[in-house]
Amino acid sequence: MPERSLLDLDDLSSDDIIYILDRATRFHVAPPERNLLRDICVVNLFFEASTRTFTSFAIAEQRVGADIVALPPGSSSLGKGETIADTAITLAAMGVRVIVTRHPESGFPYRLAESFDGHVINAGDGRHAHPTQALLDLLTLATEFGRVAGLKVALVGDILHSRVARSNVIGLRRLGAEVILVGPQTLLPDAMAREGVRIERDLDAILPEVDALMLLRIQRERIASAVLPSLDDYARNYRLDAPRLAKLQPHAIVMHPGPYNRGIELTEEVFASSGWRYVQQVSHGVYVRMAVLDFLVNGRSA
Amino acid sequence: MKPLLIRGGRVVDPSQGIDAVRDLLVRDGIIAALDEHQAVDGADVFDATGTIVAPGFIDMHVHLREPGQTHKETIASGSAAAVAGGFTAVACMPNTEPALDSPALIAEVLRLAHEAGLARIYPVGAITRGRQGKELAPYWRLRDAGAVAFSDDGATIASARVLRQAALYARDVPGVFISHCEDDDLKALGVMNEGVHSMQLGLAGSPGLAEDIVVARDLLIAGETGKPFHIAHLSTAMSIELMKFARAQGFAVTCEVTPHHLLLGDDRFERFRADAKVNPPLRAELDAAALRAAVRDGAIDAFATDHAPHTREEKAQLLSEAPTGFSGLEVALGAYARALPDLPLARFVELLSCNPARILGVPGGSLRAGSPADITIFADREWTCDPSRFRSLGKNTPFAGVTFPRKALATLVGGRIVMQGAG
Repeated sequence: MPERSLLDLDDLSSDDIIYILDRATRFHVAPPERNLLRDICVVNLFFEASTRTFTSFAIAEQRVGADIVALPPGSSSLGKGETIADTAITLAAMGVRVIVTRHPESGFPYRLAESFDGHVINAGDGRHAHPTQALLDLLTLATEFGRVAGLKVALVGDILHSRVARSNVIGLRRLGAEVILVGPQTLLPDAMAREGVRIERDLDAILPEVDALMLLRIQRERIASAVLPSLDDYARNYRLDAPRLAKLQPHAIVMHPGPYNRGIELTEEVFASSGWRYVQQVSHGVYVRMAVLDFLVNGRSA
Repeated sequence: MKPLLIRGGRVVDPSQGIDAVRDLLVRDGIIAALDEHQAVDGADVFDATGTIVAPGFIDMHVHLREPGQTHKETIASGSAAAVAGGFTAVACMPNTEPALDSPALIAEVLRLAHEAGLARIYPVGAITRGRQGKELAPYWRLRDAGAVAFSDDGATIASARVLRQAALYARDVPGVFISHCEDDDLKALGVMNEGVHSMQLGLAGSPGLAEDIVVARDLLIAGETGKPFHIAHLSTAMSIELMKFARAQGFAVTCEVTPHHLLLGDDRFERFRADAKVNPPLRAELDAAALRAAVRDGAIDAFATDHAPHTREEKAQLLSEAPTGFSGLEVALGAYARALPDLPLARFVELLSCNPARILGVPGGSLRAGSPADITIFADREWTCDPSRFRSLGKNTPFAGVTFPRKALATLVGGRIVMQGAG
């Protein structure tokens, strides 16, 4: 029986999520003793470039006292004929207990977890999931509003290609928030509608009703692949700028998983606005990842 | 060879409108007589009481992987899988390595089939050289060597011009064109059906439109050129409507459906395993329901498995890397019966025997006296799919552990019992 992993937020009950957020908050207030993961070997297996998430995990692992090995992308023998199962068995045999992995293909961590006798943490797989990002977003909301239940949260932009959006939808719904997805049809197909999730095309119309906006990164490649006509055409309807900021409620906050494109999904005015929470999100990332490591390896403490 | 009397079975032969208990006499590999009660001195007797005796089943769409990919399947292992599943004959697709685009390769397949000595193997020649979609394959020469039909199966011929020229040139060559319909550009990197499930899993999807557009194109080319076309493995509700339209125009077109498209939907990728990855992809349940209705109302002409064996290692790869398809020959009868439990037996036999024989223009499809004694004996008995027992080298199936209501009990090819009581 494989040990507990975090592959997506649906691996966690709402109780688990609340527990992890609470632990993260406590780590924020007072750093834990460094020995929570003493003698636990953690491998960071990243197949895709990542600065923010990779660094955040590395710092979190250090803060809980784990032994850390980072395999730089390309160094794994995966791709040299070794199967996913071979990699999992090899790392387990060396005593690795936790694999934190990022991969460009949706589902990779699921296939890894299937063969790995230890914990797998998904640090982002393809377009599919990014559960620790969603947890840090939930922590940001919970810190801001004291609750997540009942909040109205809109995710804006390239929902189709966004693992951040998918995991957030699961987490937000699990904790009782109202979710609105906003974007053009090619980035937000009608088939993404599901129970409890509203799809809107008109950002301006929903701005006055939301408590939080989560902006998503728009990639220039979407123009070459005929998904968007131009960044300017996108900006006409979906870029958060001064006039749109003014339509938000005074208490509303603006989040972004980063890295953001200045002038594309948001303008400079957003950074100066009182609701901009990007820095808090990044900071929360470390505490949430510490809490996840502790939760998976040690379970829930009393 | 001693005469063989198949006694007491329920003979279902739609070619003669027979559905009754009959004794069937086989002599010298030929059906000698079909009567109520026969007693023949010196004949071996096969007690078929309580079973159904039908003209041999023909799977007009299988991949036998030889030459070139014998780690996946060989003509010998594929033949064994065929007869184990109750098939007396199969048509094998030309996506081998190299592709079956020359008379020598067709002859080689037939030589290996003869050596295997089980099912009849009908090679399908390529429509274009190397299945590259550019230059025409030598249809007359392929036909002379033994090709019964033509297809670039697995690859859609992207150029309507090339396909039209091919159909015009080959119009008088006996042998239907079998179309694999997927627009590669629309499909892009899709690993499953585009829909609610692909959206939730963050997997690239291939829309049903990718099939519909090519089905429409190929049916129109069939109509314009007069070349008979057979649309392989239909998977969408719209494809069925297009088929109905083409028939109403009087075009010479037929189509087939697989067990997996009848039974399974696109909700099979929860843990990102590639077992159910196939081309065209498993669609939404609405499509599967439309296919089942189309079988009942006669819009579908044939059952075909698209038997596509791969190794365990190949199918264990990531979804983007794993090859498409899975073994089908040894589950087919059970799966068709499970998908359509209320389908009349006569229609079941038509779809598996009479119609494939007619579409391919090959012997079989009838138990009329004088026909080759290709016979499938089956019964409505429950069994559970255990892929480790497949004769096929490909042990992958999305049906592992599924219980089926019907199974083949014996297979006779040319009067010879090549399978009996397979487990």
